[in-house]
Amino acid sequence: MKKYDLIIVGGGMTGLRAAIEGVKQGLHVAVISKVHPLRSHSVAASGGLNAVLGKKNSEEDDTDTLEKHFQDTMECGYNASDPEALQLLVDRAPGKIKELERWGCLFSREQDDSIAVRAMSASSFPRTVYSSDKTGHVIMNTLYEQCIRLRQNKPDLLRFYDEWFVHKLLVYNNVVSGIIALEIATGRMEIFSAKAVIWATGGSGKIFGNTSNPLTNSGWGLAVPLYAGAALRDMEYIQFHPTQLSGSHILITEAARGEGAILLNRKGDRFLESYSDSKEYKGLSARDVVSRNIQREILAGRGVDASSVYLDLRGLGSKHIKTKLPGVRELCKTYANLDPIRQKIPVNPGQQYTIGGISTNEKAQTDIDGFFAAGECACAGVHGSNRMGGNSLMETLVFGEIAAQSAGAYIRQKHYRLPNKVFFENALAEEKNKIKVLLENEEGIKPAEIRKRMNDAMDKFVGIYRDGMGLVEAGQIMKELKNIYHTKMYIDGKETRANFGLIDAIELKGSLDIADIIIQSALRRKESIGVHFRNDFPSTKGRPRYSLVKVRKNKMKIRHMAIRTKSNPLIAMFSDPRS
Amino acid sequence: MKEKTYKLSVFRFDPLVDTKQRFVNYKVPRNEATTILDALLYIRDHLDGTLAFRASCGQGRCGSCAMHINGKYGLACETTLSLGNNIIRPLAQLAIIKDLMVDMERFWEKYESIRPYLVRHSGEARQSYANRKEMDSMIDCILCGACFSACMMTGMNPDFHGPAAYVVLNRFLKDERDTIHDQRMELVTGENGVFRCHSMYSCNEACPKNVKPSENILEIKKNIG
Repeated sequence: MKKYDLIIVGGGMTGLRAAIEGVKQGLHVAVISKVHPLRSHSVAASGGLNAVLGKKNSEEDDTDTLEKHFQDTMECGYNASDPEALQLLVDRAPGKIKELERWGCLFSREQDDSIAVRAMSASSFPRTVYSSDKTGHVIMNTLYEQCIRLRQNKPDLLRFYDEWFVHKLLVYNNVVSGIIALEIATGRMEIFSAKAVIWATGGSGKIFGNTSNPLTNSGWGLAVPLYAGAALRDMEYIQFHPTQLSGSHILITEAARGEGAILLNRKGDRFLESYSDSKEYKGLSARDVVSRNIQREILAGRGVDASSVYLDLRGLGSKHIKTKLPGVRELCKTYANLDPIRQKIPVNPGQQYTIGGISTNEKAQTDIDGFFAAGECACAGVHGSNRMGGNSLMETLVFGEIAAQSAGAYIRQKHYRLPNKVFFENALAEEKNKIKVLLENEEGIKPAEIRKRMNDAMDKFVGIYRDGMGLVEAGQIMKELKNIYHTKMYIDGKETRANFGLIDAIELKGSLDIADIIIQSALRRKESIGVHFRNDFPSTKGRPRYSLVKVRKNKMKIRHMAIRTKSNPLIAMFSDPRS
Repeated sequence: MKEKTYKLSVFRFDPLVDTKQRFVNYKVPRNEATTILDALLYIRDHLDGTLAFRASCGQGRCGSCAMHINGKYGLACETTLSLGNNIIRPLAQLAIIKDLMVDMERFWEKYESIRPYLVRHSGEARQSYANRKEMDSMIDCILCGACFSACMMTGMNPDFHGPAAYVVLNRFLKDERDTIHDQRMELVTGENGVFRCHSMYSCNEACPKNVKPSENILEIKKNIG
């Protein structure tokens, strides 16, 4: 058994930022990651991260303020954001940029040496800090570099377990006590006891077929805490990015539109302008609106083909594309064999971001003691019902740090309780047995077939437009697939060592369970708000409420709760059992 | 009508079980795959679930799937399947864990040994526009390991840092905010250091991101000379 103060699951931007803070808190920290941290999908984030740097807008002679960042996010999320969590994000964002700069981050800069900013959708002011269109890659390198520095200076405080797959979150009497993980290369399963655990596993997009998420984002990251008793919030809010490169599931960053690219239909018209809801914002319309209107344009028969419209960068000019969007050009050349300097890019909307996640308060606390979550896998309600571009990268840094601070305080106050050895040994035996059972079938249906049917159902019924009938059908499909999973599925390789087929199969269980929760949450929300659009309930109902899912004894319970208001601290106190 | 397929010969070896390394042939339907990675995933999903390889982002950004494809190093997710036989090997110079999955430990160790982080003890560090501009070409390295495998010197000399580490080193040598320029140089001037590179440009050819490690190494050498 390995023992640590703090275990961080996930080595993306949230996990690495949390690790740096964990060491600063004097904790013995282990980062457990399914892939090497620098292979995490945070590296694919392109556009940038939002922070108010007090810049002046030369054209309109006004200055950006924290209030504007707060207000823009609130409006973009249809007032469904948690005001306390959002305020923290906005307030701490500028400090996070300075901190990254101190650590050597290579942001793009203006000729006067100041940090450059660009416009992203739904924001009243250009406040997105970036590094050409490789922002995630550059920040991930900086964070990992700082982790190496810490490890070289304080080798006993920070340890990385790369390519370890977390199989179980250990909870005893609603207090976290560690994890069980499997080392992929050796197939060895091991107990990691911990006084506190931070969850930072990122998105769950691979439940869908039409997604720009990586292979690793299976939904398992949400399933493991769910199985341990954690509640999930706002799971019906799935964000579809408007511009995914057609035929490849690769995202073309919104920074392209921010830099001036336009969307065109088959006839070459700028069709977005013809939809009345496109002009809610001064700059670019929010992602939900654009994705819906692309879909409407295609359904009206004005798409380039059955599923695409054009993204046109040609007006930007060669030099601008080469300096501000080199990654976009590279992706188009590699995957679509076209050069956006001269050609229009066929694009279609696709799943991009899981807005919902493990329910947390603004301190990254969940309803399990000692268990914290941050980043895309968590949901403190920052994004409301529609995430504003550039806020999620900032969320990883702000709440990654907060999670480790909360974990530090929790450990120092000695709230943790570690169960005895028997508990751990029994848990390990139980998990080993689960894998043994999974490997038993010698023939039947392959995991990939189940996954394909799940992906198809999610794309068809749980996409940009949803309705009750389709969601019910999707729910029935998931029920059937879960049954097949537990009775007829079989896995080729029978060893646990370097068996990626086995890992895929384990994760598929999580995908199916989370898919079902997304479907049931979408079915339950009988209104349209933000990214969740119901054809059968096209309008918004009264004050926004958030949804909360818990599973107890195989029974799923969904509740809708009032979002606390900032002006009344009493409501905030009572609506959140943790504060 | 006969179904049209892509042909692949994939390196298979499990050091704990197999006595011999071998190539196994697979056929993948053409409508199921565009890239080498698509085909490998198809094999794992439908033909043989025991095939071991790393993959994640599928869009040339994470560096997981670097391998040797049809005589050249590259990322499986960025390389289009060819109509002839597609011969897939793991990265060279690194121990095989299973099939196309190699032990990257030595690669990371070299990367970490050049102290890949900014060292600055006081105050804010504002980088100038000009200094940032100089780094445009080197920030693209995704540490996939292709150059390390292609480099003859990393194979012959276990103490040689390898091309990727030198790209990162050069990035920090150039950074006007860094304060340990001299210590960094000491790291690489020894007999196993940067002069072990004989400028064969194998790394440049292997790099899927066009980072040009050779040019970076030449710059470091000039720094010394």
